[in-house]
Amino acid sequence: MTSHKSTREVLLTCIDDIEIIAKELLDNLIAQKQQKPVSAEHSQLVELVLQKDTDLKATLKLAEEQGVLQQKVVALETEVERHDIEIRNLQKQLKEAEQLLATAIFQAKQKLQAIAKANSRPVNSEELIKFAHRISASNAVCAPLNWQQGDLRRPYPTDIEMRLGFLGRLGEMNVNGHISFPELLHRPNHSMQQGSSVPNSQAGTYSWLSQNDLQMPGLSVSHLGVGGGMDHKTPKKENEDVDVMSTDSSSSSSSDSQ
Amino acid sequence: MSTRGVETDEQQRIRFQVELEFVQCFANPNYLHFLAQRGYFKDPAFVNYIKYLQYWKEPAYAKYLKYPMCLHFLDLLQYEHFRKEIVNGQCARFIDDQQILHWQHYTRKRVKLLQSQAE
Repeated sequence: MTSHKSTREVLLTCIDDIEIIAKELLDNLIAQKQQKPVSAEHSQLVELVLQKDTDLKATLKLAEEQGVLQQKVVALETEVERHDIEIRNLQKQLKEAEQLLATAIFQAKQKLQAIAKANSRPVNSEELIKFAHRISASNAVCAPLNWQQGDLRRPYPTDIEMRLGFLGRLGEMNVNGHISFPELLHRPNHSMQQGSSVPNSQAGTYSWLSQNDLQMPGLSVSHLGVGGGMDHKTPKKENEDVDVMSTDSSSSSSSDSQ
Repeated sequence: MSTRGVETDEQQRIRFQVELEFVQCFANPNYLHFLAQRGYFKDPAFVNYIKYLQYWKEPAYAKYLKYPMCLHFLDLLQYEHFRKEIVNGQCARFIDDQQILHWQHYTRKRVKLLQSQAE
């Protein structure tokens, strides 16, 4: 197919040929007037011209047909372009949708993970509130609003509180002979209520402890009088001696006992 | 804990109380300094005891704590480096100061809020 010339070239060559033949013819005619006519050549040339003419006509017809086809091609091409644009639009929309869905799925997965995490360690909301109250009401995690420098309240049990607690008095019990366990409970029972770190009833086991769940007022130094009659040198359980310990360690020796 | 045949119920109760109070005493850096100076942290039995006390971190036990800062110190005490450092009085003072400052964090926030509202 590539050996075919384009229609335009065919037409042009045809026209060129006719031009040449016509020139020859005219030359012959002019030469006829001057010399003997070469009538065989002449008729050949005329035939040739006629043939070329028919060729030309045929080629022109072909060109016309080709023109019509070309229009069709153009129309189809615009159609194709239109479809192409539509497809590209769809592609864009699909991509956007995919992105949205991917984000949605990701967030949903995160939510599911959070739910699974929460379900794995459920906490009773009431217990949570109880705990929150326990640690906040006594200013154990948040300083009281009117706290100033020099205020003796601290976020930890101070030495006074430690001595007033169960551990401190247990030492006293060991030293002063056997004080019975229930007596130990009942005697300074109210000091336990006043901010020492004594737990509340574990379900069932500690029925002897009063239900002072939410009654833990902050300990202030004035409550020292409650434990009146206790020596300050109360030895603690096992082998830990509690000497007088101040809250700032300026009095303890800072020798490096390494 | 209830599977221990050797301890009676009473003894278990006492032990619970005792260990609860003791673990919360760890929240006091001065007390830790005190213990360190008397060489308790060098006793391997005591170190094991501190390791054992970590059960207070479980929610079932932690809900009885009043001074939750003690759990942080309990963690720190598991490291020998910390046990060595707390012998130093300066270290104890520093920790105490930082602890008190941290304790005042919410108060400061609230005061700032109130101040900004007043303006």
